[in-house]
Amino acid sequence: MLNHAEASEKFIEDAERTTWHDETLWFVRSKRDKVSKLLPEWEALREQASLIKDHTLANLGQYLIEFESNAQKNGIKVHWAKDAQEHNEIVHSIISKHGGKALVKSKSMLTEECHLNEFLTKKGVEVVDTDLGERIVQFRNEVPSHIVLPAIHLKKEDVGETFHEFLGTPKGNKDPQFLTEAARQHLRGYFLGANVAITGVNFAVAETGEFVVCTNEGNADMGAHLAKVHIACMGIEKMIPKRKDLGVFLRLLARSATGQLITTYSSHFAKPRKGQEMHIILVDNGRTRQLARDEFRNSLKCIRCAACFNTCPVYRRSGGHSYHQPVAGPIGSILAPNFDKSANVDLPFASTLCGSCSNVCPVKINIHEQLWFWRQDLMKDGLAPLGKSLSMKGMAFMFSNPTIFKMAGYMGRLVMRFAPFIVNNSFNPWFKQREMPEAPKESFQSWYKNRK
Amino acid sequence: MSSRSEILGAIQALEKREIHHPGDFKSYKATQDLVGDFKNSLSIVGAICIEAENKQKAEARLSEIYPDLLRYTSHDVVTNGLELEAVDVLEIDGLFGVAENGAIWLSDQFLPNRVAPFICQHLVIYVAKSEIVATLHEAYERLDGHYADFALFLSGPSKTADIEQSLVIGAHGARSLTIILT
Repeated sequence: MLNHAEASEKFIEDAERTTWHDETLWFVRSKRDKVSKLLPEWEALREQASLIKDHTLANLGQYLIEFESNAQKNGIKVHWAKDAQEHNEIVHSIISKHGGKALVKSKSMLTEECHLNEFLTKKGVEVVDTDLGERIVQFRNEVPSHIVLPAIHLKKEDVGETFHEFLGTPKGNKDPQFLTEAARQHLRGYFLGANVAITGVNFAVAETGEFVVCTNEGNADMGAHLAKVHIACMGIEKMIPKRKDLGVFLRLLARSATGQLITTYSSHFAKPRKGQEMHIILVDNGRTRQLARDEFRNSLKCIRCAACFNTCPVYRRSGGHSYHQPVAGPIGSILAPNFDKSANVDLPFASTLCGSCSNVCPVKINIHEQLWFWRQDLMKDGLAPLGKSLSMKGMAFMFSNPTIFKMAGYMGRLVMRFAPFIVNNSFNPWFKQREMPEAPKESFQSWYKNRK
Repeated sequence: MSSRSEILGAIQALEKREIHHPGDFKSYKATQDLVGDFKNSLSIVGAICIEAENKQKAEARLSEIYPDLLRYTSHDVVTNGLELEAVDVLEIDGLFGVAENGAIWLSDQFLPNRVAPFICQHLVIYVAKSEIVATLHEAYERLDGHYADFALFLSGPSKTADIEQSLVIGAHGARSLTIILT
């Protein structure tokens, strides 16, 4: 597997596409800025959302029990899964009872995290992703590169090619309207025939035992209301205490994600319809471990809006696949080491620590600080690459020793002025796609001392 | 040990932290023009808005917008949602609208079937001008104590921008949404 820097290098080989990716995501970020500034209470809403999540995480056990009991009263079957494997097995056991061979699934980052599609495919069940972007990447045997815009790494020509291959659309047709219509017709057949529908959960309300699913396409509802069985999969951190709290989160979610006022559909599922079975799976998969860590607990406040992706200067120029995780971007980089430190050691370093992610986060997660905390944690565990830990040790030695620091500065200036090839070569990663700066003749310290 | 007790046990083993719920949120300023703001939001989310005192007056405009299409107006329960697949235009009643985002609250008590507003090709919703609230906070205030088995906020026709960020109206749900303000 390529690490983040290696995968990014591949991504930016196509400069034109990289620029398009960068500018398109920045456009989404600008739309978020525009609508958020129309609300004078925007900052107060963020604060409120953050406080509600603080409170919920401090009382998570109690709210999970309250939710379970109310959901059961509503006629929903509640399951608990400690990890991805158990979650997948629960889903499979429900499907097996109903003899389904194909199921429709709307967007759920949790099922991506658990690799549910792979698991079910191996068991002979066909999973049909019904979000347009997810269907596109599923055809291409790829994974989503963005949690809200799954196919943002692709151009319409790519989608046209893919649909030509899988849906028989005319070769060369790349009109988004036409291609979307083709997907609508193709997926309608699956909606009308599916026995089982899987959806994610945006919010689960402890007070009422209901859960809310937000989409723009209407695919979650088309699946859930037609299928005999509805399975909703959620991480335990999706809990909120009261129904009135939904007002706060629904005002923030779409505005932060795409600059919309609200998603087209915000569906509140409380009870199964007559003759339908409704299941909800509460999944831990490392969340209680994160809850126990003071410095990383806040990451569990995330409502998956992806505002931090769209603003991140690194994500915009490296693409979602460079993060080799179902949730990419800044938030993914602080969630991933909790699953596997050594496999994701590169991700907390895939950031400039500029802090833009924390500034746009609707629930005020201190993302950039957590990236920095993870760097320290990973270095302490000795997981950082040898080069990085050696250079850090070297720098620590140099910066704590004034004489050596002065000497190093002098040598550096000398080298850059008289033998620039020593730094301007392909062995120096800082030289890639950059010109090294012209070295000043003297240091700031000597200029300060000698100034008249 | 069951996974339930394992998960709850892991949470309960953590040090107790006293953090209070911040209480209900109040929006800063109430809008002066609920209907005007609602209409503005409807145009942003891509819905068509018609003002008409009653259903008869709306009729003429509706047959202009949806000529030669089968319009389904019955509120009778349809047990099998699949039967609604052939509906071109579905007309339903919304309970109230939200000025800040053009969302309309639909409850399954007033729908032929839960899938009805999604499976039809075009959707028409009647909302009374007197039934518009300013923000989602007022909306949930109003819903306090009213529970539906299934309900939703619906704002605009179904849409996607998953192909190169080009907005396309009519993803899986209704291809158009017309709101009749009575």
